[in-house]
Amino acid sequence: MACCVKELAEKRMARLMAAMNLEEPDRVPLVGVGGDVIPAYSGLTMEEYYFDTEKMVKAIEKFIKDFPCDWPFAALIAGLDGRVFNVAFSEYPDLSINLTFITGPMHKVLGDKYYRYPGMEISVDSSPQFIGGTFMEADEYDKLIADPVKFIAETVLPRACRNLENPRQAMATMMRLGREIDNFNALMGQIVGKMVENGYPAMAVGGAYAPLDLIGDFLRGVENVLLDLRRYPEKVKAATEALVEPITNYALAHKSMGANLAFIPLHLNEYLSPKLYKEFYWPTLKEIIERLVKEGFKVMVFFEGKHDPHLETILELPKGWGIAYFEKTDVVKAKEVLKGHTCVMGGLPMSLIVGGTPEQIDEHVKNLLEKVKPGGGFILAPGVSTAPRETPAENIKALAEAVEKYG
Amino acid sequence: MLEEILNSIVEMDEEAVEKARKYLDEGGEPQKLLEACRDAMGEIGARFEKGEYFLSELILGGEIFRQIMDFTLPKLKSGAAKKIGKMVLGTVKEDVHNIGKDIFKVFAEASGFEVVDLGVDTPEEKFVEAVKEHKPDIVGMSCLITAGVTSMKKTVDKLKEAGLRDSVKIIIGGGRVDETVKEFTGADAWSDDAAKGVRLCKQLIGLEG
Repeated sequence: MACCVKELAEKRMARLMAAMNLEEPDRVPLVGVGGDVIPAYSGLTMEEYYFDTEKMVKAIEKFIKDFPCDWPFAALIAGLDGRVFNVAFSEYPDLSINLTFITGPMHKVLGDKYYRYPGMEISVDSSPQFIGGTFMEADEYDKLIADPVKFIAETVLPRACRNLENPRQAMATMMRLGREIDNFNALMGQIVGKMVENGYPAMAVGGAYAPLDLIGDFLRGVENVLLDLRRYPEKVKAATEALVEPITNYALAHKSMGANLAFIPLHLNEYLSPKLYKEFYWPTLKEIIERLVKEGFKVMVFFEGKHDPHLETILELPKGWGIAYFEKTDVVKAKEVLKGHTCVMGGLPMSLIVGGTPEQIDEHVKNLLEKVKPGGGFILAPGVSTAPRETPAENIKALAEAVEKYG
Repeated sequence: MLEEILNSIVEMDEEAVEKARKYLDEGGEPQKLLEACRDAMGEIGARFEKGEYFLSELILGGEIFRQIMDFTLPKLKSGAAKKIGKMVLGTVKEDVHNIGKDIFKVFAEASGFEVVDLGVDTPEEKFVEAVKEHKPDIVGMSCLITAGVTSMKKTVDKLKEAGLRDSVKIIIGGGRVDETVKEFTGADAWSDDAAKGVRLCKQLIGLEG
């Protein structure tokens, strides 16, 4: 069995790599669904899943065993985006890489105001959620620009985390956080072990973030940063530029864990007109992607929402830079624009997987793959990978079957 | 003056707020100012639907509108601001996101709806009670996370159980809703943007969108 499992993993990996390298794989690779449906499938509450690592590992194993795909990317997301913590620790690469996800127990230790976890602020059956907030005033841009890491670590985090409010508390909190980092690494080790046992490629994924998203999500709040763009454009721009270095540093630190893929989920891209996007968002994001590519990384960018108005800017990146993962952008159109340059990922609306029938899913996959399969460079994936608890199992199965048939 | 205020709002010039204040200080009619602001919001929505404006403009336009309303509404004679319909609005159960709901709310109010805002993470029962209490024309449900989709369906089901489904029109909104979600939840309309959402609400109550 060991040989076959290994072969299966190699086959899946080759499929993904072919698509990423803009070639035609033996079959279109499928990225599986993840999220709330995983604990639900094992009869767990969301709270049990996010706070009991043993239960989480078992539930993930059961899920990836019963619902095969080529890359269970979403099943590996064990927490919520912690990018502000990556930046705060960016001068310490060995620590920084451990904070890409803030798990439930880490959230409890930090007492932060960014996240809502089941069984804490929200009901035991709620999805963990990122809320963000305003932890920096508009007149503090100069401090952020002068020394972003110092400002974030010493000024923003004590405001954003109840348990970092003073140095005494911070000492205890950091020791506890270290313990949770160990738990997290043990958890990831176990999950990767289960993936390998079940014939999945053990791909280590690092991360980076768009500088303007870091300001919007973790420092100023989304609404404020959009107002700031009009009120203090030069300062916002200078702040995004100042964040390039620490973000690149933490992204590159993932090399030490063997990662050669960096994941960047975008947020404000859909909010901005092409003019604002090109002025405040894209230049620094592009610089970070280019730096990572130069260092041997492939980059996977999740373009949240509708990215149609900004699609052409992707062509400014070096050919073969990585994967453009789309949520609501029409992937047929995206492939048309990006073929031979960028691997396109997406194509499955979550609403179809939740509310459709197996026949509708079959039909959708057939029609879509007819258009995007030729020439390769395409990965089939749900537009948002978080499937709700009530997602019908037969629909997830239908998806895998359809890919076998038409991929 | 009113036209200048209207244009300033549409062009995202925050000086519109001071211009509006000055207009009232100099004896301008609050009713007319309100109408100009509403027209401006209508134009912003139209530009959004044409793809000329984006979410950031909806948020900034909403912010300017809100600031002007803060000092204009108290000056209006009661009943002077004619309402075209009543709406109960909330982010559904187990979803704590508010931005989408809040953008929609400003545009709904600007187009003349009276909006009862139930907040976020709204249990199904709270929607039912609010419908009983406020007798709205429309129930608006918002969600961002995918789990919200099933909460929407449960809320529609609860309204059915309570025998209230046929007394209201239901619109769902948010980044992850589409035609399939509309069918799945049993709502009457869906929109993933605020401008279209408001237009559909007007259609739902028999007004031109």
